[in-house]
Amino acid sequence: MIRDLKRVRNIGISAHIDSGKTTLTERILFYTARIHKINEVRGKDGVGATMDSMDLERERGITIASAATYCEWDNHNINIIDTPGHVDFTVEVERSLRVLDGVILVLCSVSGVQSQSITVDQQMKRYQVPCIAFVNKCDRSGANPAKVSTQLRDKLGHNSVLMQLPIGLEDKHEGIIDLVSMTALYFEGDNGEKMIVKDIPTQMMDEAKIAREKMIDAVSLFSEALTDAILEEKEITTELIMGAVRTGTISRQMTPVFLGSAYKNKAVQPLLDAVVNYLPSPLDIENHAIDMDNNEETVILESSFDKPTVALAFKLEDGQYGQLTYIRVYQGCIDKGDTLINSRDGKKFKAGRLIRMHSNQMEDVDALPAGHIGAMFGIDCASGDTFVSPQINYTLLAMHIMEPVISLSIVPKDNKAQINMSKALNRFTKEDPTFKTYVDRETGDTIIQGMGELHLEVYVERMKREYAAEVTTGQPRVAYRETITQKGLFNYIHKKQTGGAGQYGRVSGFLEPCDEDFIFVNKVTGGRIPSNYIPACEHGFKGCMDKGPKLEFPVTGIKVTLEDGAYHAVDSSDMAFKAAARGGFLEAYAKAKPVIKEPIMKVVIETPNEFQGSCMGLINQRRGIIQGSQEEGGIMSVIESQVPLSEMFGFSTILRSATQGKAQFTMEFSIYKQVPQSVAEEIVRKKLEEKPKK
Amino acid sequence: MLKKDLILKSPVSQTIGIENVKDGRFGAVISRAGVGKTSFLVQIAITQLLRNEKIIHISLVEPIEKINLRYTDGYANLIDSIGYVDPQKAVRLWEDICPNKVGISYNESSFDTEKVRDYLKSFKKAGLSLPSIIIMDGLNFDKDVSETLERLDLLSREFSLFIWFSIKSHREEKLCEDGYPIQLETYKDMFDKAVFLNPVDDKLEAVILKDGARTDQIFKLDSATMMIAEKD
Repeated sequence: MIRDLKRVRNIGISAHIDSGKTTLTERILFYTARIHKINEVRGKDGVGATMDSMDLERERGITIASAATYCEWDNHNINIIDTPGHVDFTVEVERSLRVLDGVILVLCSVSGVQSQSITVDQQMKRYQVPCIAFVNKCDRSGANPAKVSTQLRDKLGHNSVLMQLPIGLEDKHEGIIDLVSMTALYFEGDNGEKMIVKDIPTQMMDEAKIAREKMIDAVSLFSEALTDAILEEKEITTELIMGAVRTGTISRQMTPVFLGSAYKNKAVQPLLDAVVNYLPSPLDIENHAIDMDNNEETVILESSFDKPTVALAFKLEDGQYGQLTYIRVYQGCIDKGDTLINSRDGKKFKAGRLIRMHSNQMEDVDALPAGHIGAMFGIDCASGDTFVSPQINYTLLAMHIMEPVISLSIVPKDNKAQINMSKALNRFTKEDPTFKTYVDRETGDTIIQGMGELHLEVYVERMKREYAAEVTTGQPRVAYRETITQKGLFNYIHKKQTGGAGQYGRVSGFLEPCDEDFIFVNKVTGGRIPSNYIPACEHGFKGCMDKGPKLEFPVTGIKVTLEDGAYHAVDSSDMAFKAAARGGFLEAYAKAKPVIKEPIMKVVIETPNEFQGSCMGLINQRRGIIQGSQEEGGIMSVIESQVPLSEMFGFSTILRSATQGKAQFTMEFSIYKQVPQSVAEEIVRKKLEEKPKK
Repeated sequence: MLKKDLILKSPVSQTIGIENVKDGRFGAVISRAGVGKTSFLVQIAITQLLRNEKIIHISLVEPIEKINLRYTDGYANLIDSIGYVDPQKAVRLWEDICPNKVGISYNESSFDTEKVRDYLKSFKKAGLSLPSIIIMDGLNFDKDVSETLERLDLLSREFSLFIWFSIKSHREEKLCEDGYPIQLETYKDMFDKAVFLNPVDDKLEAVILKDGARTDQIFKLDSATMMIAEKD
C-alpha cells in the first residue's frame, strides 16, 4: 500500500443509470491489470461485470450496492467506488461521495446530462467533491460530445472544458486527439490495450488548433504562469497546462471533459492519466471533524500517519464472516490490534482483520493509513459512525440520509419463510439506512419502507434469493382515521340485572372535536358519580378510540366532557361505568357527524421544464392540491403539492412514464384531512366487501 | 357571511365589478414600477377565490414564495378593511379558499403556453372545474409580445378563462393620443378591460381606461393596502 499520499486517489464513478459506469470500471480494472479478462455487464457469457458481484445485479444489468476496489496506475494507488445510477439507490451514492476525494462523472454522448446526472451533481456540490467528466459511448449513433459539454455548462452550471476531440464519431469512432500534447491516440489490440500515439490527421489539424486555443484560454484563469506565458508569447508547456487544469479542477472551478467509448475500449487509458493528473490526492482536500470535548468546534483533519486516528464507517455489509464495515481513514493510521473508540457511543474496540476490497474478493492488509479506503471485520457499529483513537473525541459530520418515501406490506408464505424474513429484514435495515421496516399495529402486516418501488422490489428479491424467504407483497393499506365534526350529546344508562351481581352506571355529557388525539374532562359535581369510578369512565371512553364505530379505523381528535351521571350503591362497579362510557360514546358519536380522515402527503416533484405542465396534471388527477411551481436554474421545475397517500401508489412508475424517467419526486407525511364524500363512500364499500372475507 | 362581506368590501367589486371581472378575455392593470400592479391583480384573484373559483397566478418575475406572500398580505388587508373579524374564522376561510390558488413561477425566457395548456387539459381529464382566471404577472410589454398574446388568446378561448396582465409603463413616456400607455397601444384591441394605476399624493387613482362603454372613471385607493380610500 502506497504511503506517499500524493500518489493516492480516492475516486468514485457516478452517473445516470445505464451511462456505462460499471463497463468503464471493468476497463479500468483490466488496464490496471487487476483483472485479466473483461466481462460485460450483460455479457453473453453470463458472467457479468466484475464489480456487479450480486447475482441480481448481473441479471438486471444494474449496480445495486456500490462496490469498492482499488488499482494501480502510473505508480498511483487508486481506490474506486462504483456506485449505482438508479435514483432509488441514491443513498449508496451519497455514502460514497462522503468519503471520496474526486469523481468521474460519466455522461452518455447521446443522452447528455440526464436527471440522475443532475442529482449526482447536487450531491457532489453538497460534499464539495471535484470532478472530471467522461463523455462515454462516442461510438453510438447520435453521439455528440460537444453538445454534452455545452449541456454540462448550461444544465449543471459547470465550467466545462473539452480536453480532447474525437477522431470520428458513431461507428467511425477511432480514437481521440489530446489537446494538451497535441497528439492523436488510437487504441489497438483485442481489448484496446495498445495505445498508439500518432500525429494529428491533417484534415483535423485546424480544428484541433482552435480547440486547443479555446482550452488554453479557459484554463489560463487558474494559472498566472500560464497567463504570463500566453501574454509573453512564450512556449506553452504541457506541465503549465496540466498544472492549471489541476488547480481549476480541485477548486471546483472547472470540469475537464474527456471522451471515449468504454464498451469499445477507446480512450480509457487517457482518462486514467487524467485521474492521476487532475483529481485531488487526500492531501489536496481539507476534511473537517467536530471536537466534542472542545465546545463542538470544527477541527481540520491532517492526512498524517502520526496523528490520532479518525475514520468514518460509511457502509456496512453482512458477509459470511460477520459484519464487514467499510471505512475511510482521514487521519492517523489503523494498525491491526489498535484500540479505537466509536465516538457515537463511546465503546472501545480492537481493530481486527483489516482488508482491502476488490469487488467481493478481499485482500488482507496490516494497516490502513490516512487517505485510504478499506474495511474491517467484527465491529458492531452503524453506518456513519466515527472511529477515533482513545485520546481524542472527534466526530465526522453525518451523511445526508433521506426518509423513505414508499412502503409495501409483505407476508411470508410459510413458517420457515417467516423466520428467514426476520433475519433478512434485520440485516437489510442495518446495511441501508433508507430501508425501514415495522409491523403495522392495526393490520398486523409487516411493512417495508424504502426510496422507491425498485428499491423495495430488490429487497424482496434478495429476501427470496439470499434467505430463501418467499414473501407475497401487497399494496399497503392507507392508515385512515375517524373523527367527529360537531358536538354530540350522550346520556346513557348501563343497567343489567340478569342474575348474579347487577350492573348499573349512568353517564351524561358530550363529545366535541378537538386538535389533540383525546381529551377527557370531568365536570361531575356533587358526587353524582363517585370519584373512584371516574377513571373507569375515562378508560371506557378511551377504549372506544382504538376502533371507530363507523368503519373500525382508529378515532382521533375527540374531547369528552363528562357532566353528570348516577350510580347505585350496590350494583355500580368499574366495569359497569366502563360499559356505560362505551354506550355513551357510541350514542354521541353517531350524532356528532363522524367522518373519515386520510393522510395527506407533501409531494415535491422535480422535473425538467418541458414536463412541468404534465406533472402538474398528474397531481390534479390524484385529488392533489398544487401549492406552487417554481422554475429553477432554467432547466428544472419544482412542483410542491399535497396529495392523499391513497392516490400515490404506483406514482413513481406513472411519473417515470410521463416524463421519460426524467422527473423525480419525494413524499412525506403532512397532515390528516377529511376524505371527500365520494371517496368516503368508496372506502365504506371496500370495507364492507372485506368484512365477509374475515 | 364573511365571504360576502369581503367580496363587497373588495376594491375590485367597487372598481371593476365582481361579475364583470371575467367578462371577456384579456384585462390589464397598468402602472409604473412599484406602484401596485401585482397587489391589485392579487385582489382580483382573491375575489374569485372568495367565490369558490379556481385561479392560476403565473409570475415571470417573482419566486413562488413571494407570490404566496402577496396573497396572504392581500387577504390580510381585505380582512382588516371590514373591521373586527374573528381571527380563527378568518384563518379557516383562508385555509378553505387558498387551495384553489395555484402559483407558478417561470423564467421569462422559458415560459411556454404549452405547459399551461398541458396543466389545464388535466382539469378536463380529471373532470374538475377549470380555473376562471389566470393572472399573468411580469410579461415584458416593452418587447414584442404579440406571439405570446396570440397563444394566450387561444388558451383563453379553448378553456373559457379570462387572463389579467400586469403592464409596466414608464414615468418619462407620454401617453398616446387616445390616452393609452404606449405598451398597451399596439395590443389595445385584444384587451377588454384596462385599469391604470396612478399615484397622486399619498393615494392611488385607479383609472378605468377601458371597460365596455365605461371609460375614465376614477377611484381612489389606499396605496398601501389597495383598498378603497376613505373619502377625505
